[in-house]
Amino acid sequence: MTDPQAGAGAAGTFFDAHQRATIEAAMARIIPTDDQPGAREAGTIEFLDRYLSGLDFIYAKPDGSGFEKLEGKRAEAWKQRIEIISAKYVEGTKELDRRSQSQFSAEFVRLTTEQQDRLLAEMERPALQVEGAMETAKAVAGLAAVEPALQQTNAEIDLDFFPLLALHTRQGFYADPIYGGNRDRVGWKLIGFEGPESLAETHAGRFTTLPFFAEQQIDWEEEKNRGTEA
Amino acid sequence: MALKRKPDPVDVVIIGAGATGATAAKVLTERGMHVVGLERGPWRKRESFGGDELANVNRYNLWPDPILNPRTLRGSADEEAKINLFCPVPQMVGGGTVHWQGWLPRFTESDFKLRSIVGEVAGTTLVDWPISYADLEPYYTEVEWAFGVSGAGGVNKFEGFRSKEYPCPPLPSTRYAQKFHEGCRKLGYNSFPTPMAALSRPYNGRPVTVQSAFAQQHGDPTGTRSSALSVFVPDALRTGRYDLRPDCYVHEITVDGRGRCKSAVYQDADGDFIEQEADIFILSCGAIESARLLLLSRSGRFPNGLANGSDLVGRNATFHEFSAAVGVFEDPIYAWAGGGYVAASSYQFYEHDEKRGFAGGCHVACAGVGIPLPINWSLPGRPAWGPQAKQIDRDFFNHSFAIAMVVHDMPQHENRVELDDKVKDAWGLPVARITNKIHENDLKMGRWIIDHNAEILDAAGAKKVYRVYIDRITGNCSHQHGTTRMGNDPKSSVLNKWCQAHEVDNLFVVDGGPFPTATGANPTLTMMANAWRVAAYIGDHHSADRKPQ
Repeated sequence: MTDPQAGAGAAGTFFDAHQRATIEAAMARIIPTDDQPGAREAGTIEFLDRYLSGLDFIYAKPDGSGFEKLEGKRAEAWKQRIEIISAKYVEGTKELDRRSQSQFSAEFVRLTTEQQDRLLAEMERPALQVEGAMETAKAVAGLAAVEPALQQTNAEIDLDFFPLLALHTRQGFYADPIYGGNRDRVGWKLIGFEGPESLAETHAGRFTTLPFFAEQQIDWEEEKNRGTEA
Repeated sequence: MALKRKPDPVDVVIIGAGATGATAAKVLTERGMHVVGLERGPWRKRESFGGDELANVNRYNLWPDPILNPRTLRGSADEEAKINLFCPVPQMVGGGTVHWQGWLPRFTESDFKLRSIVGEVAGTTLVDWPISYADLEPYYTEVEWAFGVSGAGGVNKFEGFRSKEYPCPPLPSTRYAQKFHEGCRKLGYNSFPTPMAALSRPYNGRPVTVQSAFAQQHGDPTGTRSSALSVFVPDALRTGRYDLRPDCYVHEITVDGRGRCKSAVYQDADGDFIEQEADIFILSCGAIESARLLLLSRSGRFPNGLANGSDLVGRNATFHEFSAAVGVFEDPIYAWAGGGYVAASSYQFYEHDEKRGFAGGCHVACAGVGIPLPINWSLPGRPAWGPQAKQIDRDFFNHSFAIAMVVHDMPQHENRVELDDKVKDAWGLPVARITNKIHENDLKMGRWIIDHNAEILDAAGAKKVYRVYIDRITGNCSHQHGTTRMGNDPKSSVLNKWCQAHEVDNLFVVDGGPFPTATGANPTLTMMANAWRVAAYIGDHHSADRKPQ
């Protein structure tokens, strides 16, 4: 890689070893492991490392046979986006260590999970207060501070380091396994999403959710003949 | 840049190949007219779509990329506009219908005369439409039958006259529809199966719609949902008279010495500029982009933009804000079944009732919470991270759904679409700048409806209910209207009742732009019905009568 901001990872990756360990530790606090797998077991760091590595893992081919090759303006836009986001991770990793050193005289990865949680909570707060995109996010959905999608997606590049980290951890935990996370579909199993075996199943029209529809049909004829309050 | 031959003039140029452009193309080509379709986005085939939540909902696979196609937003004329992905719609052949689940309710008779019913509403430009429900009814039927809509006529007690039943019976019931129906029933409210752009039975040679979880905001790899891409574009192509050109971005519509539209000047995929002449020009780019194109088309004759001598182009812009009450249940709901939008609806709160303290009303329907798939599902108040967030995902992902509304946003003179004076898109053209301030009526309606939606969830047996109130118009729903109002008076409208520009007789707009009011219902069926009506008018009269001598 020629970008001085970039980490020193191998091909198909972005982070150097320290960055990777730091972000992986932080992700393990975003979705912690309990009696069921968390971010670490799902491989969310793998998901993120691939995402930031360039343009090779942006869109899976819809039949699951690999990844799309981006071209033209679309490729330019993604190059710009990945550069902006990568820089936030490089800076965010440093910031985690800076705070960690000043409060606990150790690198973030060496802290106890309680100490890590305290630092992450500090990192979260300013983002919630000042971030314009987050304000919109909350107004749009009134829902999760991370990624509102009542009807539309938000602009990822407007997010600060912490909301980005929370967003990407979630994406890596729950996205189709082809992107490198959600290993053995642990994310889907956790919440009971009976998703398709592979992208190819959906692409071929074999994936159906009909078994999860109601067991009995609503009797609309009866509704037609019923009086109403109005 | 290679020199390309100027194409031959045609009868009609239609700019945009989404819901309404494809409808107009079908109707005109089937009547023997030669149509060139200019679509700025790609022509994606169904093989390019898939069940990939990350790509489609989160990574702009179908949504416009905000780096390439930004918009700007401000709350009033004295604020500085900021970049904002306001009210996006997929820009590609098929437009928004490519990634929707297609709720297709009809408007009611009162929608066309709300000003007469409620009187003046201070601060608004509320008006009656120049057409009535009866004018549109035959075209509702045409679209429902040609497009393939599943529903049950007569179940909605508030529905207007219907000349024909739906072509397909309702889709199978989801658990969330069942709960919604149960809650409404307990409260004495009428409910009905949401009419949908999907097939419950084989129809017109097309198979039954596959009920995947990846539907809302996803393209359909099976091609079994009803969309402009899967139905009306193929219908038009079959005539041999629809020359559809994707990746062709119209920069300007030129006028001749008499002030009539002469040509569309567009940039093709190679970056070359091409001039296409035609007798008639139809805009169907969506209310924001059609207004933007008119404003970009400045000339000596129209220094403030084409057909904009009145300064009304872009004004009275209305947008449906989408909001919901969310309920959590003991028994599993599986709101991702069918994609979260195989729904049931109610018009119980649709008609105006002055006792409620606001003008108008709106359609409510059950749905998943947001996009109810693993990445994007959430509950109001869920923390962004940590053990509690994980626990909420585990406990409630399969046990929650929403009762949603689209607010009937009141039209206001100052709520408008203009050209931004600083921000340009990736093609170097000024982007649309939206000025929008929410009206008090929207806030009151939002509050009242969400409270009542919450009661339905309670009645359906929810363990816990969350209310998400609207506090401003964020453009979180792709519905957009009003920027080129139709009306009888050229001083207060851009188009006449045939959606023909008062100032330019060979220019028509057939998207949501002509809608004088937003109404409280999902607008696309009505947009398509209106586009059909206008195209039929053009086919019947315009070509013969009004051709330049």
